[in-house]
Amino acid sequence: MQLKNIRKQMSLATCALLQAASPAVNAEESDWEIDTAILFYSEDNGRVSAIEPAIYAGRELADDQRIDLRLVVDALTGATPNGAHPSAVSQTFTTPSGGSTYTEAPGELPLDDTFRDSRVAIGADWEVGLDRFSRVTWGGNLSKEYDYLSLGGSATYARDFNDRNTTFTTAFAFNNDTIEPEGGIPSVFQPMRVAGSGLNREGADDDKTITDFMLGVTQVISRETIMQLNFSFGQIDGYQNDPFKIVTVVDPADGLPAGSGFFDTASTGNLPYVYERRPDTRDRSVIYFKTVHHFEEDTINFSYRYYNDDWEVTSHTLDLRYRYELGNSYLQPHVRFYRQDAAEFYTHDLTLGTDVDPVSGAVSRDYATSDYRLAESETLTLGLKYGMPLGNDSELSIRGEVITQSVNDGSVRPGEETADLDAFVLQLNYSLLW
Amino acid sequence: MRTFIVIFMMIFLSACSSLGVQPWDRDLLAKDSMQLVPDYLDNFFDEHIYFSKEASSGGQGVGGGGCGCN
Amino acid sequence: MNDIRLKRDPDCWRGSFIAMASPCEVLMEVDEEELAGRVLETVVDEARRIEAKFSRYRDDNIIARINSAQGDSVTVDEESARLLDFADQLYQMSDGLFDITSGVLRKVWRFDGSDRIPGPRAIQQVLKNVGWHKVTWRNSQIILDQGMEIDLGGLGKEYAVDRCITLARELTDKSVLINFGGDLAVSCQRQGGKCWSVGRLVTGSDQAVALFQLFTGAIATSGDANRYLLKDGVRYSHVLNPKSGWPVVDAPHTVSVAAATCTEAGMFSTLAMLQGPQAREFLSLQGVEYWVN
Repeated sequence: MQLKNIRKQMSLATCALLQAASPAVNAEESDWEIDTAILFYSEDNGRVSAIEPAIYAGRELADDQRIDLRLVVDALTGATPNGAHPSAVSQTFTTPSGGSTYTEAPGELPLDDTFRDSRVAIGADWEVGLDRFSRVTWGGNLSKEYDYLSLGGSATYARDFNDRNTTFTTAFAFNNDTIEPEGGIPSVFQPMRVAGSGLNREGADDDKTITDFMLGVTQVISRETIMQLNFSFGQIDGYQNDPFKIVTVVDPADGLPAGSGFFDTASTGNLPYVYERRPDTRDRSVIYFKTVHHFEEDTINFSYRYYNDDWEVTSHTLDLRYRYELGNSYLQPHVRFYRQDAAEFYTHDLTLGTDVDPVSGAVSRDYATSDYRLAESETLTLGLKYGMPLGNDSELSIRGEVITQSVNDGSVRPGEETADLDAFVLQLNYSLLW
Repeated sequence: MRTFIVIFMMIFLSACSSLGVQPWDRDLLAKDSMQLVPDYLDNFFDEHIYFSKEASSGGQGVGGGGCGCN
Repeated sequence: MNDIRLKRDPDCWRGSFIAMASPCEVLMEVDEEELAGRVLETVVDEARRIEAKFSRYRDDNIIARINSAQGDSVTVDEESARLLDFADQLYQMSDGLFDITSGVLRKVWRFDGSDRIPGPRAIQQVLKNVGWHKVTWRNSQIILDQGMEIDLGGLGKEYAVDRCITLARELTDKSVLINFGGDLAVSCQRQGGKCWSVGRLVTGSDQAVALFQLFTGAIATSGDANRYLLKDGVRYSHVLNPKSGWPVVDAPHTVSVAAATCTEAGMFSTLAMLQGPQAREFLSLQGVEYWVN
């Protein structure tokens, strides 16, 4: 044996022997890891702004167990695009409750400014070690809004191989979401009605289920590098329309919202906007790759995601974070790039005569949405985070991000405002051991 | 697709048996900054923001809960 | 076994018993006798549990099962697996000097202070059954070739001290010192910044007693007090080099090392002994506190 310093190795080996051996040591030495944060989110042009305080707490328990808890409160105000497109004339819409109207000036993107919501979401994960190499994590979630309830559970099984250098993960999750929109569930492809003239609604609520299955592998490549590769498959079943989104019915004669026959508002009370309709199943698959690499001091965290679903949305996401160590503190720039194709049934509008019967108002398409989130789009995020320790066990960090989303809808006419978006994020974090 | 994944995983597993480090070389891997998700809440917020603005979601794990924002 | 004693010292409770062929002591800075009794009882139970489970002198435990499997695979429990993992890491860290299969060498080497040195052929014969690299150890399963044996005696006592410290911490916030035949550890600092003072037998030319003053952490000692062979003026220590099959020559009489845990301290003192004359150099390279005689 050559004489060499093995103190670090020895101490790690001893730790593995004694720590794992004794739940008591874990119980004694483990504190609550607590992360608190507040997020300020603001979109330009008076669209959505939100304040979200959140707290996360996790700790090791006795007997190879771990628990993680989270609570997020979300207060949203502002306006969100209702799906109708800008027009050369001013447009009047009925609020979801059916009680009042709002009007959009010519050329402007119609925004529903009654959008106001608050959300409380709680979640917990409970990890249980099965033996020295495998563990199961049980997760539960609840998210409640004024008009929305989401309940879900998940199970994740992870097993280590190759001296714990390779970890295989299998996960299954189930979610049930119920929506109870103001005014009820709009009848698909039925027109928005003039305020006070009744609503095209059918039933008070509807729901959907989300089932996800994931296979993943995490591999330690070297002392400096770790990689992860996940395959996920999911299916969403049930009500997937956005009850507040409409599609403009355009008269091809003048390119303006339809105003004759079925859509002669003065005589029928029908506005030239129909409630959107999406398929009630959606199958998606995702491939996700991530790697973290440690340089001399700095760390780089890179991920790529490929997403594809049977609504024909395909997307690519690249995410890169580089953590510069500045002695005690650190600076972390962040770049994210996202690009998606439009869903097959995304449309700028519906054409009177072709897509919509001028007399009966019947829509001949199977599905249609003008929700900009299903349009072709790109999102670029640039961010910077600064973190510094406060004492031994706590850290304070602040990050700012600028999110620029551009919607590429080929049918948009020159001068027409699109759903393009600039959003700003400011987040303060304080983490501590307790 | 499923067959492809199973085969892929098997190749991965056999190829990986030569990769990796000994337990005492895990000093860097143990650092907070080297975790796959180094900042739990940052990640949580990001997932939520993009979920409400984009048509894609998921990849990192399963579950996490839906919301009416999409 | 009724060798367990608990008595009141001026500034602590002192429990004593015999386990692992060593006198064991538990010093407790607690007030109530009832609590002291509970700590002592817990420590005794744990020490005897570990002894029963891992002693190679028994025929009803996991070690016996592994050593008598005759080439068959044996699935071990979690705690045994961790100890074997640890032994595996020690083997690699020490480039094969620390080897839990080296115990069979004692069939030819008997350290009784005499001058009986085995013949080279006998040593070669036994060496065939030595070498952790010949052992298959994977996923909680171990396979030993026929004739091979493992012995966790080289780390059992230190492990027991650390385990007992852990259990004592569960019972009391007050400082507890556990001393199993010279391998000792403290659960936490004493009140008022006092230290624990422990006598240490310094075997060597003069049988002096030194005094350790321990605030936190652990100290372990390896030595060959009366276990050596003396022939032609060469003193063969009881520490055997598993690669050559020969005792380490010119090893120190005793090596004590201070570290965070008794296991670490014990492993460093054992590895230092295996370095023979380079023991000091090895220890100063580790940056640990040590005493070599």
